[in-house]
Amino acid sequence: MVPSVADAAEPRLELNTWAVLRALIRLSATLELQYPANFFASMFGTLFWLTMAVLTVALFYSHTTHLGGWSFWETVALLGVFNALVGVVEGVFRPGIGSLAEQIRHGSFDLVLTRPVDAQLYLTFRELDLWRIADFVLGLSLAGYAMHKLGRPLDAAHALAFFITFASAIAVLYSVWLALMCLAFWLVAIENLPTVFDALFEAARYPASAYPKALRLVFVYLLPVAWTTTIPASALVGRLSMLGVVESVGVGCAALLVSRLVWRAALRRYTSAGG
Amino acid sequence: MSTAALWARRYGALIRAAWLVDLQYRADIALWLLWGIIEPAVALGIWWSIASAAGGDVDGFTQLDFARYFFAVTLINQLTQAWDAWSIDHWVAEGEMNYRLARPLNPVHEAIADNLAYKARTGTIVLLVWLLAAWFWPIVRLPVHPRRWLLAAVAIVLGAAIRFFNGFAIGLLAFWTTRATSLIELQMALGVFLSGQIAPLDLLPHPVAVIAHYLWFPYVIAFPVSLLTGVGDSASSVAHGFIGQIVWLVVWWGAYRLVWRRGLVRYGAVGG
Repeated sequence: MVPSVADAAEPRLELNTWAVLRALIRLSATLELQYPANFFASMFGTLFWLTMAVLTVALFYSHTTHLGGWSFWETVALLGVFNALVGVVEGVFRPGIGSLAEQIRHGSFDLVLTRPVDAQLYLTFRELDLWRIADFVLGLSLAGYAMHKLGRPLDAAHALAFFITFASAIAVLYSVWLALMCLAFWLVAIENLPTVFDALFEAARYPASAYPKALRLVFVYLLPVAWTTTIPASALVGRLSMLGVVESVGVGCAALLVSRLVWRAALRRYTSAGG
Repeated sequence: MSTAALWARRYGALIRAAWLVDLQYRADIALWLLWGIIEPAVALGIWWSIASAAGGDVDGFTQLDFARYFFAVTLINQLTQAWDAWSIDHWVAEGEMNYRLARPLNPVHEAIADNLAYKARTGTIVLLVWLLAAWFWPIVRLPVHPRRWLLAAVAIVLGAAIRFFNGFAIGLLAFWTTRATSLIELQMALGVFLSGQIAPLDLLPHPVAVIAHYLWFPYVIAFPVSLLTGVGDSASSVAHGFIGQIVWLVVWWGAYRLVWRRGLVRYGAVGG
């Protein structure tokens, strides 16, 4: 049977996606390995920031025993989760999807669009700051240490619940980044869109229940980034029900879907920087 | 033309230019401002909850005290903020220092004018937010006290000057190293504790509070905040605060002069 023209124009995209992904990650790794000193700088920076963050929590707990129902070590576990998520944000989101505004302004986004691979996928993994894995590892280590201090060894059920909710949290954060960066299609002049995220993510350092009602309304319900640390940390310390785990998966999937729709809508009206 | 009139003209032009540049970036400035408001809001939220759980106050600080304290911190942090270390780093790295040195005017004046224009804009916005909040939320209203407000205004100007020369001097280390901004970030992280941004100094562990009082940090934020909110405004603590401010202003101004002179010699030697 003679293949139709349409078949020929679709050169096995399914397979390509994984090959492209692997190639991009390999490329980032090769680039980063040239600068091993950056790993130590990143490591030192992370240790310093973690120390400061733990000291801040210790300061709060020197005047109270519980914050929004969370004990000191439970909040430290949450801080560890926060730092692991910071590693994902800094290592993947900021260098990848975070570069969208700049690419639109400089016109290099047009080159991304001409590639025979999904533009969102390509942009997401275009560049990885692999040394930020230090934040990820140190964050999870801190959470592990806090669990040890709480005297709650992690059983398989809790570990699984944590893994699922953590993945959902990453999905939500990614969706927030994608939707936020899509604003660049409309507001070309704004350089610091990620700053909005940075500012709001500050509120996610502490359990959502630690805030008074009025602020909780803003941080937690209006701008739901605060949940992205509270939910996985709750699963870790055993505060989350089975239903909560299932809900988090639903929220994660819904967020990905909505952000994908926003992305498609934004692309449809994109007419290149000069247009 | 008299010297004063000449300087007035120079500053007029520099501030006008800075104002117009900022106007281009007004959306970015609004986003930075968001950060400057959320950080103290988070701290206020946490202390508010702690005070509420403790039955109304933490070591004598009531919820009302915390609310006024962190509104004042937001305003004063904005008015004393100094980003100059990052711009100097950029000037040196991108070669933009060269044409600034070719001008018959020390670049420090451009930086001061930038600060005045930026702070006039952002300070006004924070003040408006505060007034709006006070409209709906009476406890963040400050008792009317013009004499204290005047003293607070002077303390804010001195605090801004300390932070400016501190940032400028450390930023000028960019003549020697590419890591000058890391140094200023390190200092900023310590400053969050030592200047009273995360908590009133009295709530810090005693040794930390003692160390803080031997450094310049409390004179930048905690002292003007105490004047504005009227906590601890006895004549002796006011005098102590202003003396500390003047001492640290002289120290950091001297550091800036020293680093500037040495740096220029070195910069010339590298570029020449």
